Amino acid sequence: MSITRRDLLKGAAVAGAAGAAAAFATDAQARSAVPARPHAVGMLFDSTLCVGCRACQQACKTANGLPPDVVRGGDGVYDAPVDLNATTKNVIKLLSDGDRAQFMKQQCMHCVDPSCVSVCMMGALHKEGEGKRSPPGQRPEQAGTGIVLYDKSLCVGCRYCQIACAFNVPKFEWDQAVPQIVKCELCRHRGDPAKAGPLAAANPACAEVCPRGAVIYGEREALLAQARERVAARPEAYNPRVYGAVEGGGTQVLYLTARGVRFEQLGLPQLPEESSAAFSESVSHAPYLMGVTPVALYAAMALVINRNLKKKDAGHGQEGE
Amino acid sequence: MSAHVNARPIGGPLLDPLMKVLLSIFGVSALVVAYRFLTGMGPVSNMTDGFTWGIWEPVNVVVFTGIGAGAYAVALLCYLLNRGQYHALVRPAVLVGAIAYTLGATSILVALGRPWNSYWLPFLPYWNLSSALLEVAICVLSYVLVLWVEVLPSVLEGAAASRHPALQALGRRWRPRLDKAMPWLIALAILLPTMHQSSLGGLMLIAGPKIHPLWHNALLPTLFLVSCLSMGFGTVVVLVNVLRVAWRARLDQPLFAEMSKVNAAFIGLYLALRLGEVVVHGKLRLLGANWPTFFFLLELALFAAPAVMFLSPRVAADRGRLLGAALLTLAAGALYRVDTYLTMYRPGGWTDGVANPARWSYFPSIGETVVTVGMVAFGIASFVFVSRLFPVVVVDEASAPSPLGRGTVRAASQPLEVTP
Repeated sequence: MSITRRDLLKGAAVAGAAGAAAAFATDAQARSAVPARPHAVGMLFDSTLCVGCRACQQACKTANGLPPDVVRGGDGVYDAPVDLNATTKNVIKLLSDGDRAQFMKQQCMHCVDPSCVSVCMMGALHKEGEGKRSPPGQRPEQAGTGIVLYDKSLCVGCRYCQIACAFNVPKFEWDQAVPQIVKCELCRHRGDPAKAGPLAAANPACAEVCPRGAVIYGEREALLAQARERVAARPEAYNPRVYGAVEGGGTQVLYLTARGVRFEQLGLPQLPEESSAAFSESVSHAPYLMGVTPVALYAAMALVINRNLKKKDAGHGQEGE
Repeated sequence: MSAHVNARPIGGPLLDPLMKVLLSIFGVSALVVAYRFLTGMGPVSNMTDGFTWGIWEPVNVVVFTGIGAGAYAVALLCYLLNRGQYHALVRPAVLVGAIAYTLGATSILVALGRPWNSYWLPFLPYWNLSSALLEVAICVLSYVLVLWVEVLPSVLEGAAASRHPALQALGRRWRPRLDKAMPWLIALAILLPTMHQSSLGGLMLIAGPKIHPLWHNALLPTLFLVSCLSMGFGTVVVLVNVLRVAWRARLDQPLFAEMSKVNAAFIGLYLALRLGEVVVHGKLRLLGANWPTFFFLLELALFAAPAVMFLSPRVAADRGRLLGAALLTLAAGALYRVDTYLTMYRPGGWTDGVANPARWSYFPSIGETVVTVGMVAFGIASFVFVSRLFPVVVVDEASAPSPLGRGTVRAASQPLEVTP
């Protein structure tokens, strides 16, 4: 037997040191929550105002140059998407619960601390101006809007964003040989830097066209204040919660719904206040101790292995079985 | 590396019937892959926006690399804990690792929608260090290289033993240099899998709301790391048993019995962590007459049974029983991986352990399955091919391998005379 108790102890010591470093780092490096950017822009959707005209759906397709999602029914052909998909970045759904019906608008939530951005290998999905680069050939990105943008030339199509997104927003072009990820980018391309206020950053076609003001565009803080005012003014009409204020670390698209309607009925998931990204990054980064652990572990192992192999060469014959 | 003295090329016809069957299966899967690149992912797969990874990521990447962890497990014992008696297992385990990881990496390329952009992956300024997948990609790609360099000693040894003077010189010159670099490489070959095997569990941390609470916890990286070692030890036992039947490879039963006791310890640690988490976080209330409970208990049983068996002297002494137990560890690790990534993943999320209604459902398509099976076939074919040409497998001297076809192909260096 070439093994000695000392060898075993050495191995255990290396493993133990790594474990201790990991345990220590868990406290030292827990990733803190990301606050909403002060001038982040977003939308507020009020399901009590929406009448389901789907003007926003059509405006979105026009503004983003998306082809119709053709459905054949009765004696006609309709552009009638049933869900977000590779040709639909915005969709209105009717969700009924017994005798109560509510319209629901779905598009990217532009999370404050987005899972898709956390997982995207090279920052193809990134917060405006906070990615790995400003994609060439476009209006230069401005940090601070918090809009989640897509840079197709850094996307490998791994679809980890689809796994990570709790809202199932990013969609993939399954029938394209050269596919892309498709999702709402808050019509940043319709923003006009010459204009004042949030319209300089973006100008969502859905909010612009909505005849009832059921969806409005603006700075997140202003929208949040307005949502709370609406609830305070008519508490009998509204569910007191503003969805997106804190859910999943907060979102830049906020939701109001009628009293007695749960947001889960509208298809919005129940999420903890800690974002999935913060949880995942805290747990995964902790043992790395800012990169010290791998280097230390490597050095320690190389040392032990070197000695073991040298010993074997030197004492060959007595060490073999 | 004197322990390799007995390792030798198996020889024999390269294109035997088994090889023809394996390559035909791979050929069919290559056609499916070609079609996928022409038409996109949709037509060949049942993947949807809800079940976006299908079986290729959970099986071809996560399970294959779990099987490939044999190289990691043996390196830990042999080099870090200095148990020289495991030396004979290193070469076959490393070859299986190199093949399994290469296939896993290839599968990723097939599954990527925009694989040409992976050109930018080695470019540091574009690295998003919060992405567990980036860590996996970089570590797996580096580890594939390291594993193939670890296969090189066999190749150089084969070259040195050849009759061709140039190859001889090549083998003699480079073998000592490689030996010098080995400790540094081996340390890397232990560090890299430690990192990416835990990251494979860490990948699913962020999908928290979508994974059944019995599978989702902060211990995912640890559980994946520990269970990959268990799969790795299992793989080595299964592999050598197969090699013994096929080529009369040497099988050291007492050594396997000892190694399996180490495996039992790892499984014990896994079970303690897994059960402890469920109990401490009050998840026991989720158990009931439902599928998640069934799969949870099945996993526990598949892990616990071989651990108990490994500790029994009757199993330790019996080749067949130990093989059976090793197969169970493979099944346990594979099921845990597939459950976490697929079976217990629901795009609509879970409420109190019950899946929320969602439009998506998934069962692998014929095309997806063919690609996975084809990858396995190609992996087996590669192992057979390399072992026939180069000294990888340690053959029992007492009972020399069947003379059938031996000498037809001795080493890669010689002109291949394939017998008609």
